[in-house]
Amino acid sequence: MHAIWQKIWADLLHRRLVSLLILGTIAAAAALLTLALITLFNLEAPYDKSHAELNGAHLWLHFKPGRVRAMDIRQIESLPQVTESTGRQFSYTTSVRFNQQRVPVSLRVIPPEPPRVNRLRLLSGRLLNPGEDEVLISRDLRDIYHLGPGDQLEILRADGRRVTLPIVGVVYDPMYDNYRSSLPPYAYLSEDLLASLFPDKSTWEWSLGLRLADPEAVQTVLEQIEAMRTVTFIASHTDWRDVRSSAIFDAQMAFIFLSAFSFFAILATVLIVVSIVSSTVLAQIKQIGILKAVGFTGQQVLGVYVGQYALLSLLGTILGFLLGLGLAPLPLKTVTASLNTAYRPPFNPWTMLIVFVAVPGITMLAAMTASARGARVNTIQAIAVGGETLLKKSFWLARVLERAGAPMPLVLGVNDVFVKPLRSILAGINLTLGVMGVVFGLALSGTIRVYRQNPALLGLVYDAIVTREQSSDDRARRLIAQAPGVEAFYGEYLVEAQTLDGRLLKLRAVEGDMEAFPFHILEGRFFQPGSSEALAGKGLLDWLGLKVGDSLTLVLDKDDGPQATWVIVGEYPEPADAGQRLMVSLSSVRPLLKHTDPSTYYLKLSPSADPQAIRAFLSPRRESDLNFTLMEDVIPSTVIYLQVAIFALAGILIGIAMVNILIMSLLSAQEKLRVVGILKTVGMTPWQVIFMFITSASFLGMLSIAAGVPAGLVLTRNLLNLMADFTGFGQISVSVGKAALLALLPFTLFVSVLGSFLPARWAAKVYIVHVLRKE
Amino acid sequence: MTTLVEIRDLRKTYQTGSVRFEALRGISLDVEEGDFAAIMGQSGSGKSTLLHITGGLDQPTAGSVRVGGTMLQAMSERELALFRRAQVGFVFQFFNLIENLNVRANVELPALLKGGQSRRDIHRRCSFLLERLGIADQANKYPWELSGGQQQRVAIARALINQPALLLADEPTGNLDSASGEEVLNILRQFNQQGQTILMVTHAASAAAQADYIFFIRDGLLVDQMPGGDEKAIAQRLADLR
Repeated sequence: MHAIWQKIWADLLHRRLVSLLILGTIAAAAALLTLALITLFNLEAPYDKSHAELNGAHLWLHFKPGRVRAMDIRQIESLPQVTESTGRQFSYTTSVRFNQQRVPVSLRVIPPEPPRVNRLRLLSGRLLNPGEDEVLISRDLRDIYHLGPGDQLEILRADGRRVTLPIVGVVYDPMYDNYRSSLPPYAYLSEDLLASLFPDKSTWEWSLGLRLADPEAVQTVLEQIEAMRTVTFIASHTDWRDVRSSAIFDAQMAFIFLSAFSFFAILATVLIVVSIVSSTVLAQIKQIGILKAVGFTGQQVLGVYVGQYALLSLLGTILGFLLGLGLAPLPLKTVTASLNTAYRPPFNPWTMLIVFVAVPGITMLAAMTASARGARVNTIQAIAVGGETLLKKSFWLARVLERAGAPMPLVLGVNDVFVKPLRSILAGINLTLGVMGVVFGLALSGTIRVYRQNPALLGLVYDAIVTREQSSDDRARRLIAQAPGVEAFYGEYLVEAQTLDGRLLKLRAVEGDMEAFPFHILEGRFFQPGSSEALAGKGLLDWLGLKVGDSLTLVLDKDDGPQATWVIVGEYPEPADAGQRLMVSLSSVRPLLKHTDPSTYYLKLSPSADPQAIRAFLSPRRESDLNFTLMEDVIPSTVIYLQVAIFALAGILIGIAMVNILIMSLLSAQEKLRVVGILKTVGMTPWQVIFMFITSASFLGMLSIAAGVPAGLVLTRNLLNLMADFTGFGQISVSVGKAALLALLPFTLFVSVLGSFLPARWAAKVYIVHVLRKE
Repeated sequence: MTTLVEIRDLRKTYQTGSVRFEALRGISLDVEEGDFAAIMGQSGSGKSTLLHITGGLDQPTAGSVRVGGTMLQAMSERELALFRRAQVGFVFQFFNLIENLNVRANVELPALLKGGQSRRDIHRRCSFLLERLGIADQANKYPWELSGGQQQRVAIARALINQPALLLADEPTGNLDSASGEEVLNILRQFNQQGQTILMVTHAASAAAQADYIFFIRDGLLVDQMPGGDEKAIAQRLADLR
């Protein structure tokens, strides 16, 4: 045993640089795996922590105006599952004006003392001072409209007078769903202030937040509440789990990417280990023969090599695990930052177990497979002959190049790639993984650019939106049609609907110049105006298990509302409600419902349109109720964050690939010293030796480009579509710039040259006499 | 006659840690153009070191080496490489062929590195040498498919492809059976008779007997010189040196 340890230490110390590089690679793989696992295990934790800190409600009920009574509230609060309640909450939906924009906002009353249930978290500024006329805003107003403490909201009071209220703080509401909800952003104020603005309390909306004994019992409690009365008195509800899904969306995407990259990193590590162990064994066949001659058994030889990698992998895993723990808060940062909470994932023994089994396990398995060959070697043959080159004939391409008159260092460099085909394949795959990572980043970047240039691909086929409040539909249409720079528009009435089995969804009932808008139909065709045909969002089809060609019957407006059936003739990328919406012709809804006048209008503008002029035309007076919103920045900033993260991870993969090229070239240089000695003897100059080594690495680089680019594009398409499916968005067509792909060739060659230059230089400087004397 | 190799007070010291070893301690000798000279001596006497320095594979610690009028000790790595490919050819004990290149590719390699000749001329010269060495039918084979004697003939062909001024041979028969060794020596002799200057290191009296004259080296010093031809006398002289 002592002899084995002695040999292990001697080998590790003899190849210090290679040992360090392997250690670094294993540590990188372990760090990535640790990060991915921690992200997976803690996806929901920041929200749960924040929800617990704020004693968030599990179910929030929004009542229909005038339908709910105080006794209903008391009855709900006394349900057995309900442990705590916010008490009746008042709100009023109106429009506020700021920076020449009008935006619908729900003004919500907050009590002077922080409530026990569903407290607000202050993100910036301060809370309300008693008796002051001031407001707090939800973080959506901050994020979308860049409002904050110091800004002002202008509100048209019930009596027609305008008041300006200062914003004193930005708050986070643990039950405001910024993704699935169609609720307007929230602003918070005192009850006295709301009463002074809108004194008629019968126009106030009521809502109620409940904490439940079993947070998973939301649906049961909801059914109990709905069964309490024969009339429908709940307009909508918010399930805390939906809010959580929205909050962790970014972290889930981070998890998908991290998982893909840690898989790559582990694969790269396996390839490096297999490549290095194979090479080491081959290079040491003679020594193994001597070891066996002096009494080492096959098992002991195996022990020497497996022992080396066991040591390196354990050390590397410890380093990588600690690094992963240190970096763990980063992937969850978008979530924690938005929740304004600090969250450090706790130590999880499962993470440790998986990392410490997977990384050293895979590494040692690779080492065992390769070194088993060394253990089986015939002693006499090993001592007499030593390691033999795997391929003893020259590569056909090298022969072709030689006949074509290519310089000899180039011919020999190409030939060298195939002298050790297995190792070259492993290094090539490794470099291919790096190329795939970069292609992934480039393709994501290109796709984002294309989607930014053509928002129709995201389902955003319009340039601007106009909403109306008091103005009639006729007036709104007339004004929009006359507005300068408006080429076409269509109106939309959003219909609340439910399937026959009670699943709630929304219908976009549309009417107007539909053919002027570049709707992106993923499958099938657009519906015929006036027919009972419909387009369905991908999320809706997945949710209801439908496909294009199927029929869908819905109950409209309320439980006892009319039923209608549509044939789904096409699928489109629906940007709202996780894609769970249906788009139909307004004329197919009009006969069924009383009020179907559109309240939202989607505009197509001419390229030279001036948004300010349109805004001024539609809202000449301050009290005008037509709100004009230009569509800008349709790609969320989180995608940009992901793009940066992907390039960073691709950088790690390229780094690993470079290490592999370096190790491969280093081992190749060590093994080829004799050949280099001969070549120098017959007149090869040091630069020609360097050129020969660089040629081998560059040739591998070019092969990696050939394999990595298509593989990277396939990977990107599949990963993006996995994410698109996840969000109910539909298929994403991946775009990547040809120039960027072309630039990959010199970049990969640069990486290959960089990785092989040092060993090449070392080989070029080899002292011929020493090498030849080793004979 | 013109002096091709002119060595003056050549010294070579190896330093490994604190251990200092003087391989050559001031050797001076000349080899004339067209000569076949041999260097003999015991293992560790410095004969291979002398050969390596003469061929530009190693640099002396002191003294001078002039080959064909070129001073080697002042040359850079690159200049030495260019010197080797143009002026000298090497034949080693263990052949030192490149395993995954076939016979023709091995032989043509120095000429292709040197450049300045058409592929056809190189090919023709290679065919001529292989023919002369009796291995023309082995041209497309790989070194590991050949016998030791055949491999050494390939090495000789490679050494001569650029028509070097000086052929350096380090124990060319040391790894061959006696019949193959004799064939190789005959070949060297034939090339010498056609004007090729040869400097050969050997410890075999039978090999040295082929040379025109022999230098005897002991402990890094040139201790004697005698004409070749008489194998017994050479063996006796070598024995006397011990």
